[in-house]
Amino acid sequence: MKKLGIIALALMLILSLSACAKEQATDTPADGTAEIALITDVGTIDDKSFNQGAWEGVVAYAEEANKTYKYYKPSEKSDDAYLTSIDLAVKAGAKIIVCPGFLFEVPIFNAQDKYPDVRFIILDGNPHAGDWVPVVKDNTLSIFYAEEEAGFLAGYAAVKDGYKNLGFMGGIAVPAVIRFGYGYIQGAEVAAQELGLADGEVKVKYTYVGNFDATPENMAKAAAWYNEGTEVIFACGGAVGNSVMKAAETAKTKVIGVDVDQSAESETVITSSMKNLTKSVYDALKLFYDEKFPGGEIQVLDATVNGVQLPMENSKFEKFSQADYDAVYGKIVNKEFEIVGDQDVEGPKEIETQKVAVEEIN
Amino acid sequence: MEYVIEMNHITKEFGDFKAVDDVTFKVKKGEIHALLGENGAGKSTLMSILFGLYQAENGDISINEKPVKINNPNDANDLGIGMVHQHFKLVHNFTVLESIVLGKETTKNGFLKMEEARNKINKLSEQYKLKIDPDARISDITVGMQQRVEILKMLYRDNDILIFDEPTAVLTQQEIDELMKIMKDMTEEGKSIVFITHKLNEIKAAANRCSVLRKGKYIGTVDVSVTSKEEMSEMMVGRKISFVINKDECTSEEPVLKVQSLTITNKETKKDKVNNVSFNVNKGEILCIAGIDGNGQSELVQGITGLLPLTSGKILLNNEDVTKSSIRQKCIAGFAHIPEDRQKYGLVLDYSLKENAVLQTYYEPKFQKNGFIKFDAVKEYAKKLIDEFDIRSSQGEDSVVRGMSGGNQQKLIVAREIDRDPDIIIAVQPTRGLDVGAIEYIHKQLIAQRCTGKAVLLVSFDLDEVMNVSDRILVMYEGEIVGDLNPKETTVQELGLYMSGTKRSVYNEA
Amino acid sequence: MKHKLKFSLMNSSWGVSFISAAMAIFIGLLFGFIILLISNSREAVPGFFAILQGGFADGAKGIGDMLYNAIPIILTGLSVGFAFKTGLFNIGASGQFTMGAFVAIFIGIKWTFLPGHLHWIVALTGALIAGALWGLLPGILKAYYNVHEVISSIMMNYIGMYLVNILIVKNIHDKIKNQSLPVAKTAIIPKAGLDKIFETNNMNIGILIAILAVIVIYIILSKTTLGYELKACGLSPTASKYAGINAKNKIILSMLIAGALSGLGGGLLYLAGSGKYLQVVDILAPQGFAGISVALLGMSNPIGILFAGLFIAHLTVGGVNIQLYSFAPEVIDIIISAIIYCGAFSLLFKNIILKINKRSSRQEASK
Repeated sequence: MKKLGIIALALMLILSLSACAKEQATDTPADGTAEIALITDVGTIDDKSFNQGAWEGVVAYAEEANKTYKYYKPSEKSDDAYLTSIDLAVKAGAKIIVCPGFLFEVPIFNAQDKYPDVRFIILDGNPHAGDWVPVVKDNTLSIFYAEEEAGFLAGYAAVKDGYKNLGFMGGIAVPAVIRFGYGYIQGAEVAAQELGLADGEVKVKYTYVGNFDATPENMAKAAAWYNEGTEVIFACGGAVGNSVMKAAETAKTKVIGVDVDQSAESETVITSSMKNLTKSVYDALKLFYDEKFPGGEIQVLDATVNGVQLPMENSKFEKFSQADYDAVYGKIVNKEFEIVGDQDVEGPKEIETQKVAVEEIN
Repeated sequence: MEYVIEMNHITKEFGDFKAVDDVTFKVKKGEIHALLGENGAGKSTLMSILFGLYQAENGDISINEKPVKINNPNDANDLGIGMVHQHFKLVHNFTVLESIVLGKETTKNGFLKMEEARNKINKLSEQYKLKIDPDARISDITVGMQQRVEILKMLYRDNDILIFDEPTAVLTQQEIDELMKIMKDMTEEGKSIVFITHKLNEIKAAANRCSVLRKGKYIGTVDVSVTSKEEMSEMMVGRKISFVINKDECTSEEPVLKVQSLTITNKETKKDKVNNVSFNVNKGEILCIAGIDGNGQSELVQGITGLLPLTSGKILLNNEDVTKSSIRQKCIAGFAHIPEDRQKYGLVLDYSLKENAVLQTYYEPKFQKNGFIKFDAVKEYAKKLIDEFDIRSSQGEDSVVRGMSGGNQQKLIVAREIDRDPDIIIAVQPTRGLDVGAIEYIHKQLIAQRCTGKAVLLVSFDLDEVMNVSDRILVMYEGEIVGDLNPKETTVQELGLYMSGTKRSVYNEA
Repeated sequence: MKHKLKFSLMNSSWGVSFISAAMAIFIGLLFGFIILLISNSREAVPGFFAILQGGFADGAKGIGDMLYNAIPIILTGLSVGFAFKTGLFNIGASGQFTMGAFVAIFIGIKWTFLPGHLHWIVALTGALIAGALWGLLPGILKAYYNVHEVISSIMMNYIGMYLVNILIVKNIHDKIKNQSLPVAKTAIIPKAGLDKIFETNNMNIGILIAILAVIVIYIILSKTTLGYELKACGLSPTASKYAGINAKNKIILSMLIAGALSGLGGGLLYLAGSGKYLQVVDILAPQGFAGISVALLGMSNPIGILFAGLFIAHLTVGGVNIQLYSFAPEVIDIIISAIIYCGAFSLLFKNIILKINKRSSRQEASK
């Protein structure tokens, strides 16, 4: 019983200190206020993916328009922790909060009611109560991307550049990943037709590895594909890309990156199937400050608004030129191809192809 | 008269506590000067000041009549002061030669020059009759040999003032006799010796003069040849101590404990640590197992009490076979065990006195109900033991045992074991490391138990204890019983012959 | 008399524990403050006070968040501390926690046939049993085969983590988020109005269950013969053997109870209804390791652990709040780790104080 008070007393000590702190805090209001806030999802701010892409958009706009900005990191990966971070951002004066990723769906569903005067931008997700029924309030903007178009560009460019043995390694079969994959196959098909290749001359190995992690298993799988003759793998699943790049570095083969420009990650990355995160965040913020915030909308950003692209300046193509890129991009904008998405067919083999032989590996 | 050491009015404080309080200590050239005192009297502190391990707050030191300042052991060494510590500071896998030279190597161009050292050591060992094998490894030689190595270390460094800190604690009688002779030889060569001890026999045998400390204070210096042991012990303890233990004859022929053909094999070495040992302990008898440490006594006791598994043999208590019983069952059947290592086995050091008082009885209905300990009952019981057995500690039954003195720790164990009203008390080295008062007390308790009809099995390495307390002596040598002696008819010297394996009377009780 | 007063605080055992815990915390805070100064000297002072203020900055909600964060680490702390009292280093709290969490979620999702008021109780009990089994195995290995519990329980951490990953994917996988599915509403621990009091959805009677666990463990350790035996085995295996205590049983029992505590912690966290799901990742549950710090800071005393857990949770909440100032959120993790790290030194300080005390008490005894 004697030890009862050990830490209790220690705690009291701290509390008495913090009592003084309270006064201090009101005297000198925190000057860390920020109008534009971003909440990171599980990763760090420099995750070379969603956090970073969105954050760069925040920085670009805020620097240009001279607004205060800041990012917050939740204490753990749970809906409540995300909401707590949103609370904190609002407390620090946020007028608009950028939330990169579908992990924010449930927290924003709650936050958009709790803070009607604050605007929310959620990337790749729709607010819902946990039941997948989208509820986008007037103070929220949901942004999606036309991944099938981004994938189409990657597949088209790869075949045009002379690759015939392609691979697609998706993370988990979520809609966005599926769209990338289907677009990739269709892009390859179109390019093969344009080049007049024989039927089945372009081969695509297609799989979902079942995770978004850099694991030895993923690396072994990629290495095996490369060993069997695959020349380039579209690594479409977060950190799965790291595993594939490692395998490519050993096998002296190529990789296509995803989401953001991953050319800096590895020499083996010939191009990246990009969603224009930075630009979309920048545009949304600009609309907000121009008082034209499209609240309540669910936007799908496609080629017509420059929502997807290949980073041509950092790509390592040998034959595929900027002119080729511009040409095909224009056709996509004009909807000249009928690109099927995840809702349209059951699986990659269902996609109608002649020149491209798809081998689905489970 | 020329003094080699003069320590005047030395005071050493630890915080507010004066470990050494205004002590004056003078050693003449060429004498053996005993420094006598109980544990904690300040002997070691005083010598540590002389050896440079501590700095005194007050007082001054002169060596060879020159005032000196000793800041560390190197200073002491430069002044010719050497010390043999109670616990030898030797590197186990060094050879004897390397150990002696260590720290004082002669080198040439960075290479060791061992031949010179070897010659010097051989010469010294001959001169002082310190027989050693320079190439043996420390781990392979006996404790007595290791002590010789320590002594040679001092001589090799040309030390003239030699401090021996309780040097006889680890030695057999023969070795002690030899050491005394070596010490005398050294004084004849002009060396001066300080001999720290609390054993009066040895002072009588070897020392010229004796200074006594008690509780940090200087009591006096006496000429050993004209002072009796009783006078010296009175100076040391501050009251009269009786050395003669009065015992009435009360041994019966009724065996309490029977040990039959006990063998215990060491699992790693496959050696028999206890080899076919049989004996009985009778009612009202103190049976003592004598022998040099490491001849299987510890294993024998651990085997009997159940701490070690038996290879073969039988144990009977009051004619009931308890060979296969668990420790707890033996405890309930009437075993009491005062273990060799009281801190390791006898006590949970971080438990309080009262918690240790019920170490084997906490589960009995008087101390628990439905799995909850009755702390009031435990407390009362501890208080009872404290009163009856005069256990002293700073916070009574709530004292943490780790903070208690060794003597009081041992008293607690003795109290607990005796109070359980056992049939046989097995006590191993029950007085080791204790001061004279506590030793006297524990001996009295053991004898009192014997007189109430209990049997006592006592294992001891201390020959005085063996001779004084026991009714019968068994000598153990290399795992076997080699002698069955009557303390009234034998001598320490004869015991020593048995203990060293020189003599053996075949013994087989079964 | 004056002399006595001077040492009275240092001599009593709780006094020593208090001083050493306070010293450890103080040094940790100092270290944290230095980091703040380096990263942003202008706002270091208000930022530092935001950490100190922790859960008390936001009224009831802040306290609610603090309690929510404290629940799992109090239980893993208890788990580690309890085993430690028995002389066992349960480094496997992480695996036991994960197993408990999985079984709780599994029952929460699949056993919807249970009546509502029983569902969460069964799920929590399942968590308790799963954790206990995960602790039992290293206990048996230690008792009968002398396999060191640190080695075996580390292995059990990994086995637990991978096994749970497999089991989630096979049974209760949310493919899109690569995590477990949400549990049924009936499996969520009742809020009993605590969510209203603390104005946060996080709060439920889990905190009461945690406190109950603390009390039960406290009673076992300090009032029962079982506790007496367990502690004796921990403090001196040799003396408890001498006393006839069956050490093998005690080791197994101790690991069993320790595992159950961690498992319960897992259940309490994942059934709290805070929108937290078991992730399919190759990462050991950090709560298990936080438990080691909590146990060290609380000196393995159940009551100490309760407060240590609250304290660390308090800092965690403070760490979120410090984002109001211009500090990179990553700096906060460093500071909290530093404070916890120094907290682990409380034992060291205790030993130092005891050493000083020993010296001074030796003098007193001889006076």
